[in-house]
Order: sequence, then C-alpha cells, then structure tokens
Amino acid sequence: MYKSMLFLHWKQIKYALIPAVVASFGLPLMVVSGLGIRAARGTPLEAYQIIGELNTWLHWFPSLASALGILIGLSAWNWDHAHNHVYALSLPVSRFEYVLNKLLAGATLALIPFAGMWLGAHVASAAVDLPVGLNAYPNQLAVRFLFAMLLLYGLFFALASGTKATVLKLLTVVLVFVLLGSLGNEVLADYYPVFERVHMVEYALRTLIEAPGPFQVFSGNWALIDV
Amino acid sequence: MNSAIELEGVGWSAGKAFELQDVSLSVPVGSIYGFLGPNGSGKTTTIRMFMGMMKPERGRISVLGRSVPKDMKQILGRVGYVPERPHVYPALTVAEQIGVHSAHYELWDQGWCNELIDRLGLDPTRKIARMSKGETGKLLLLLALSQRPELLVLDEPTDGLDPVVRRDVLTAVLDYVSEKNATVFISSHLVHELERMCDWVGVMDGGRLVAELPMQHFKNGIKRLRVANAPESAVEVPFTLLSRTPDNGRGSIETWIVRDWEAPMRHYFDGVGATVRDIIDLDLEEGFVELLRSSRPQHTNGG
Repeated sequence: MYKSMLFLHWKQIKYALIPAVVASFGLPLMVVSGLGIRAARGTPLEAYQIIGELNTWLHWFPSLASALGILIGLSAWNWDHAHNHVYALSLPVSRFEYVLNKLLAGATLALIPFAGMWLGAHVASAAVDLPVGLNAYPNQLAVRFLFAMLLLYGLFFALASGTKATVLKLLTVVLVFVLLGSLGNEVLADYYPVFERVHMVEYALRTLIEAPGPFQVFSGNWALIDV
Repeated sequence: MNSAIELEGVGWSAGKAFELQDVSLSVPVGSIYGFLGPNGSGKTTTIRMFMGMMKPERGRISVLGRSVPKDMKQILGRVGYVPERPHVYPALTVAEQIGVHSAHYELWDQGWCNELIDRLGLDPTRKIARMSKGETGKLLLLLALSQRPELLVLDEPTDGLDPVVRRDVLTAVLDYVSEKNATVFISSHLVHELERMCDWVGVMDGGRLVAELPMQHFKNGIKRLRVANAPESAVEVPFTLLSRTPDNGRGSIETWIVRDWEAPMRHYFDGVGATVRDIIDLDLEEGFVELLRSSRPQHTNGG
C-alpha cells in the first residue's frame, strides 16, 4: 500500500517537485558562486567577508524548505478531498494504516529535495577554497533543511487532512488572533508604554521559532560555511 | 449466515434536510437485490452506512456475517464497490489505476482482470481523464469484479451510460454472479433495468424503506382493480390496499391499487357486496410509482 501511496503522491506533484529539486541543488551553488565572483575581482576573500556574503543568502534555505514542506503536505490529500474520501473509505485498510502510509509516502518524497540539497551543498563546499578558520557544513545544512521541510510537511499534512470547515475554523482562529493581537497592541500601548516596543503577534511568532522546540530549526544556523 | 447485508432500525439525520428513518433490510446470500427509489430517497446514504463510510446514529448493521463498522477491514476485502460517482484518479492510466487498486486486495485475480479488459474493450494505456463516462463505468466495474468479491455493491452503476455500455456492464455482472454465486446489491432509479435481473427488491422513499419483497411478488402482486359498489371502509382486507380512487364519470366504480394480490382474494369482494370488474397487471414501473404514491403522506385540499 505504501508503494501505491508514494506513486499517487508522486503523480500529483512531480511537475512541482522537479524544479524544487533543481532549486535545492542549485541554492548552495548560487551561494558560493557569489564568493567566486568577488574573489575573481581581487585578492582572495577574508573569512569575515565570506561570512558576510553568505549571510545575505541564509534566509533562502528555510524559505525553500518551508515552501516544499507546505507543497508536499497540502498535496497529500488533494485527490481524497476531490472524491469526498470515498475511494479511501472503500479500501480494506484501517484508517490509521491509510493515514500512516500516506504520511510516510509524503515524507519519502521530501527525501528527494533533501538529496538535491545534500549533493548541492557538497559540490558547493568542494568548489570553494576556504581560508584557515572556516569550515563547510554540507551535511548539517542538508539535515536542517530536511528537518524544517518535514516539520512543515507534517503540520500541513494534518491541516489538509481535515474538512474544509475544519481548515476554515483553524484559519479563522489564526486570523482572529492576528487581528486582536494587532488591535490589542495599539490599545494597550496607550496605557502601557512597553507595548509600543513589543508587538504581540511578532512576539508570538518569534517565541515560536526561538523558544526550545521543533520550530527552533528555523531560527538556527543555516550557514553552509562557518567558523 | 443467511443475509449478506442486514440492517436493523438504522437511523441517521442531516439536520432537518434529510433523515434515514429506522431502515431495516435483509439481503439474502446469493441474491441479486435491487434497491429502488427516486433521487434523494436515501439509497446512497444507506449504502454508505453499510459500507462503513458513515456512522449510523442508531441501529445495527452486519455485512457478510460481520459487524459494521467494527470489522470493516475484513468486510471490505470481500466486497466490490462501484460508487455513484467515479472515484478513480484522473491523472492515471487504466493500467496504473489497476496497479494501485490491486495492491490493496489479497484476492485480486490479475488473469481475470486481463480477461475483463479485453471483454470490456478497455485500453490499458489510456488516461482516465480522457475516458468517456461509459469507459469509466466499465473500469469501475472491472476494479470491483477483479477482486473476486463475495458481495458486489453497485450504486447506480449504469446511470448516464448508453444502452450498449449498459448492456455490457450488466452482462458482466450477471456472468460473474452465475460463476461465483456472489450476492449483488444494485441501486438504481431505472426500474426496467432491475426488472430483468433482480430476485429481490427494496424500495426507498423519503429516507424510509417502504417495501422489501421478492421480485416475483413485486411484479405479479401489484394490481389495478376496478371495483363496483366498493365498501366505504376497507377493513380486514386480505391484501395491502395502496390506494383507492373514484373512477371519474362511472358512478360507483372505483380504482383500487393493491399489493400482495392472489386470485382467491377475489372472494373478499363477494363477501362485502362488491364486484371486481377488471384485474389489470401493473408493469414494474407502474407498480413502483403506485407504491411510492401510497407511501407518501396524503395532502388534503385547503389543508
């Protein structure tokens, strides 16, 4: 059953996944290509210049991982929703088994961009002459990329498994939180000056990705090359 | 196990819009059971109940001697299902869909599947999205039959198909039944389609099962009688009186529609001083319409 699920999911997203794999492979190469261009213009770059150049690219890695995780997660239930789950419910498998196999199939697909990132990171690392004191971390970057992708995949897989009404309710809760948070911030700022500096929604988001927990992966070190 | 499907007092409601009202039915093993009813009468909802897709609010269901929904996994491995709307994946080819589907069934018979592909004239390389309604209908039946089911559940399998495809589909079902002695539960609003093949009939209307009887009784037991000097109240009649209406412009003559009619029942009328002028056989469609008419609440003028 797992193979069927994998095949079905692949059929749905192959046209989106192929360019995504190319992007995963190409991103580390683009990062180091900037270093090569700068180095070609003059003397070899200092360590701090390399770090500075790489920092301008860092946000692309979690962004790509998030986009891929969301894509794979949301697409997992497309066909099931289109048929009101009739096909799935007519199969001689328990619901738990069905969901588990579907989850694993999607996670397997996430390994394809991971492989692209891993390969790209290794090729990029090998292409750069690093000054003393700097090291390349291709494996760490690729694993971080995979983890971020799987995290958002799992989240959106769960979200997409619900009915439209459930998804609507969840989105309404998030929207109400954002609206009340923003409005409440302005009202509270009149009485408590601290709220002029602290925005509640921003604070909540920052807490989510910076506090110890799985989401911390997004605020961690995404550098391919570091000290 | 005498019944392939058994429902006892099954009820379910979708707010005020629709209610399945204490449906009790029994589908004998080895029978071809026609499930008749107009659109929106609750046929598909009933099917989804015993297929474990919806949970009844009350009542008890068993399929192939096992309890629903507890033993659903074991049940569905022995049931071939053709839903009302195609549930196959449009992006796949016929061969790919067969590959995906067969992976779930232990009893899948690939040899029989290949034979059916030839017989139904399907092209394994054809993409489902590009197939006609008739071809999709054939594919759904092929998927259901190739798993060698003990019970075939067909929800409006020929709806919208042209007569040639419809005949192909029904012939394939009948051939399978004669070979395997499987039970078939077939829902339709096309009365004539079921007339030739079914040996039991259940009739749904407004979320209720209004009749369940052998096809022979249904075909021969519903009559239109023209009764002269009919008694004012028809009590203790030996048959089921579905309706009685005055015969316009003919004085004391009335038209009675009766069910469960047998020839000796004619003596009842002698006993109450009435005379039966004519006994007319209703065809299945007329019988079906009269059955529905009699089961619906009567509206009074100026109510």
